[in-house]
Amino acid sequence: MTAPGLQRVEQVMGMPVIVDVRDDHVGDDAIDEVFAWFREVDARFSTYKPESEICRIDRGELALERAHPDVRAVLARCDELRDETGGYFDARAGASRQLDPSGLVKGWSVDRAAALLDATGATSYAVYAGGDIRLRGGALPETAWRVGIQHPLERDRIAAVVEARDLAVATSGAYERGEHVFDPHTGRPPSGVLSVTITGPDLATADAYATTAFAMGSRAAQWTATLVGYEAMTILADGRVQLTRGFPAID
Amino acid sequence: MKRALTATLGAIVLALPPANAIAAVERASSSTTTAKKVVVVKKVSGSAAQADRWGTVQITLTVRKTTTTVNGHKTVTRKWTDIGGSFTYHTDRSLYIMQQALPQLRQQALQTHSGNVNLVSGATYTSQAFTQSLQEALLKVKTV
Repeated sequence: MTAPGLQRVEQVMGMPVIVDVRDDHVGDDAIDEVFAWFREVDARFSTYKPESEICRIDRGELALERAHPDVRAVLARCDELRDETGGYFDARAGASRQLDPSGLVKGWSVDRAAALLDATGATSYAVYAGGDIRLRGGALPETAWRVGIQHPLERDRIAAVVEARDLAVATSGAYERGEHVFDPHTGRPPSGVLSVTITGPDLATADAYATTAFAMGSRAAQWTATLVGYEAMTILADGRVQLTRGFPAID
Repeated sequence: MKRALTATLGAIVLALPPANAIAAVERASSSTTTAKKVVVVKKVSGSAAQADRWGTVQITLTVRKTTTTVNGHKTVTRKWTDIGGSFTYHTDRSLYIMQQALPQLRQQALQTHSGNVNLVSGATYTSQAFTQSLQEALLKVKTV
């Protein structure tokens, strides 16, 4: 006897991507379509592939107006978020000033993957990309999904458990491999904060907010309290944990 | 020249019978209820995943499936109880890397599991090969 659904893990966009669909009426072709989508995103947005549209724009070889509509949409959203976060979220930050919307692309592509699954009639699934997660329905036969939040100091522990049915969860922390968040205003890594987890309806936004709050350092928790529709858990360097009122942690 | 080494990842290994699967049946009955419990222990493995240039990692999970039948109503639970695995290496340096990394990763995975969560946000593993093989094995847990 097997439980319903399909699960697949692949290395795409330079990170492990997991698609876990619990609906028994969703077929392999739906999962194929989702991974084909992630590969398409990687080809178009990769900062490591010289022929990607992002690299060609960065080198001045491709005019923004001639770029794929997805590329224009993502870069426009990056601009919005840069303004909204007072420059903390910046696709052109970093020592090299290289165009790098990766911080938004991961969450955005997962949101779009979720829309693809919705279109197939799936109602219970999780899509995971490099530590960020979008949930819908429950981990059947469970009625909800349970997401552990990585402990920022002890790799073998989780700091909290979030239980939810329809939610995006993104975490930004200093321990993340290959992701060097720093305060674009000082050019230095943030201090005073170990990790920030943001939950809300949209993963792209949750991820951008997590990156922003983490870059703010000790002011992270204060800033997350101002967010509308998104909740936060901030783990400070002194070990204190600050939750916004509606953060869906259990226990 | 590639050498292969089969190693348990860490010191703790459950004592398992040599057979791949065992089953035990417990019956309890009273005047009002009839209960039956069947326990099956099996191992499932992910594929041997390439760990950068160091070698390959293949993770094996020990899964305990408990089927409880009370008054004709059947409940099945599957829990994995241990992680083992094997790796290949081709230089002394890669043997060293594997021996350093795998026990830590094993402990991390066991702790995550003990928290009874579906996924972990923010977790990034030093070895994507470990993650990949582990996830593949996890997906097979429900086939036990």
